[in-house]
Amino acid sequence: MASVTLEGITKRYEDVTAVDDMNLEINDGEFVTFVGPSGCGKSTTMETIAGLTLPTEGTIEIGGRDVTNLPPKDRGISMVFQNIALFPHMDVYDNISFGLRLRKYDQEEVDRRVEEAADIVQLEGMMDRMPSEMSGGQRQRVAIARAIVRNPDAFLMDEPLANLDAELRVHMRTQLQRLHRELDTTIIYVTHDQAQAMTMSDRIAVINSGVLQQVAPPLECYNEPANLFVAGFIGSPAMNFIEGAVVDGGFESQYTQIDFDPETHGVSPGQDITVGIRPEDVFLEEDARKAASPTKAFDAVVDVIEPMGKEVNAYLLFDRDVEASAEGRGEGQLLINLAPDTEIAEGDDIRIVMDRENVHLFDRASGDAITHSLE
Amino acid sequence: MSADRPDGESVDEADPTVEMADQAKADEPELDRGIIEAWAAKMISNPDRAYRATFYVATVFFVVTTLFPFYWLLVVALTPRNNLSEVGVFLPAGFNPAAFVEVFQTLPFHRYVFNSFLIATIATVAVLLVGSLAGYVFGRLRFRGRNAMLLLVLVTSFFPPAAFFIPLNRLFNTNVDVLRPLISAGSLYNTPYAIFIPLSAIFLPLSIFILMTFYSQIPDGLEDAARVEGTTRLGALFRVIVPLSAPGVATAGVLTFISVYNEYFFSSLMTDGRPGNWAPMLEGILRFQGEFEVLYNLMAAASIVAVLPVAILVVVAQEKIVSGLTTGAVKE
Ligand SMILES: Nc1ncnc2c1ncn2[C@@H]1O[C@H](COP(=O)(O)OP(=O)(O)OP(=O)(O)O)[C@@H](O)[C@H]1O
Ligand SMILES: [Mg+2]
Repeated sequence: MASVTLEGITKRYEDVTAVDDMNLEINDGEFVTFVGPSGCGKSTTMETIAGLTLPTEGTIEIGGRDVTNLPPKDRGISMVFQNIALFPHMDVYDNISFGLRLRKYDQEEVDRRVEEAADIVQLEGMMDRMPSEMSGGQRQRVAIARAIVRNPDAFLMDEPLANLDAELRVHMRTQLQRLHRELDTTIIYVTHDQAQAMTMSDRIAVINSGVLQQVAPPLECYNEPANLFVAGFIGSPAMNFIEGAVVDGGFESQYTQIDFDPETHGVSPGQDITVGIRPEDVFLEEDARKAASPTKAFDAVVDVIEPMGKEVNAYLLFDRDVEASAEGRGEGQLLINLAPDTEIAEGDDIRIVMDRENVHLFDRASGDAITHSLE
Repeated sequence: MSADRPDGESVDEADPTVEMADQAKADEPELDRGIIEAWAAKMISNPDRAYRATFYVATVFFVVTTLFPFYWLLVVALTPRNNLSEVGVFLPAGFNPAAFVEVFQTLPFHRYVFNSFLIATIATVAVLLVGSLAGYVFGRLRFRGRNAMLLLVLVTSFFPPAAFFIPLNRLFNTNVDVLRPLISAGSLYNTPYAIFIPLSAIFLPLSIFILMTFYSQIPDGLEDAARVEGTTRLGALFRVIVPLSAPGVATAGVLTFISVYNEYFFSSLMTDGRPGNWAPMLEGILRFQGEFEVLYNLMAAASIVAVLPVAILVVVAQEKIVSGLTTGAVKE
């Protein structure tokens, strides 16, 4: 059990800056998830914390101890690798017990711990299989067992559930949460799966191009994204963005116009801003009472409808002349979530309102959030 | 076929493909073929047979050309000394298996073999150890000057080994007082070190190259995993990288062992030729060549005896070597 502190961590490879001046304090026992697009530096950050690569600049502390220049074995961490990395020449038992045997635990203790770890990841009866004789999911579970068996101060897990089927992933997700609660160990986690990030983490760290964008509890990242990147990255389907400018008395874009007092939100007429609105915060005009504080209505045309079961995604165009882009998220387009029983059809002319309480404003130049509600 | 049809109406019909095949056979004209043409036609219609036949012919050819010298060695060894002038090509002129015992009675030939075996073993261990470290550095680390250093290592193997002989011989004949407690004479001449030090150095570059190739193919993730689990870099090398490169290590080891075991130039010149002074196996074989008489049968017998340790080694390591020479890939 230990806190992990990154101070000004920068990692440069010849021409890429994989991690750029990262400052992050992870509390003892906290579950922090790194999310970000592929290649943004999540694995590199993990490797720097593990000591597998040395940072170009900055210091790392684990449990209050400066470990920046310590080798991995002396940092008290264990790691589940993105590419699993089981030792192919050892069977499951030898793989799991590798670290314990290196530390010269006595045989009984090793057996007991291996059994316990195998139990948690449901690997009973596979102890003498070789990694090549196992499925991807089974290997991943061995890798997790290998990490938890040593009772480290902190776990680093780089997409540990990526190769599992949906059912097993949910099972392992709850297992990991339970494990976290029981061991109360600091866990640093990487995932591409928003559901995992939202459900498991105490805090989410959103990274883009090696730069930390926001570190906050999952719901805060969702409801109060710090900038355009976080707003677009967290949440699925993603937030709608409408580019426009501040005018006297509100916001205006080619197709929309929202009233608010620029002064109370610290913007001035002429400033380029982007309005962000999540698909579930847009309603049909007749349902306007569902919105806490509806804006005035806009005209739109239904382009494509995707029934999802518990909801309907409707891709709208603000105008029939708008050229619909393939992914349906371009200029003049809007994605909204509707109740499944809503009666609309492709090609319908409809009128929609937005919920003023959930309209986000971003400064276009810097990308930073200005406000998360117009009320 | 027809049975699969859902309506089942044509189940009774004869299978159309069978019918067609019958017809084709009937239509084929009766050709009057000679035995060679018939054979050729068979081969053309069934190329697999041709390939297999070629394979066997080639295999037999190589087996005969490589094994015949050994067979003839056996023929010579079994020929009694008095009949040596009329030794046959395929059969010995007489039968004298006692030559294999005489080899050890005339000379302490076992001591010569032991000397060579020991020197080759030490050299192999040293080469694998140093070669592993160097192979790790060249194969897995990126640093400035890596290519230049690698080139330097390889360049040493381009020199004819004989070029090193004179300076080394001088050096090894020099009495070094520090060595006195270790080596009675104080110089390396007539010690196993005089043989295995230069030979290890000469055969090292090849092993470095082989090991480097193998070690570079072990995924980084495995080394990382080992280090996180608690090994040092060195520990990861010997616990994970080396075991996974077993074919490469076996290949480098066997090549080094055979080279040192069979080496003659340095081996014979770095000792005075007496078995007690670490003279190698080849020196022993040449000792059967007296001033007035050459005991060809004993030389042949001794050669066969000397080949045995290497043959056993190769058979044991064979599986690994074959995969080591043909592939370098390691599955993750
Ligand atoms: N050894 C290396 N040498 C050079 N560049 C590297 C090296 N390792 C990573 N990079 C670069 O650093 C950047 C970050 O890589 P990293 O593996 O951390 O991404 P990631 O966020 O883990 O991506 P993914 O989600 O795909 O796993 C990438 O642009 C990558 O090309
Ligand atoms: Mg990664």
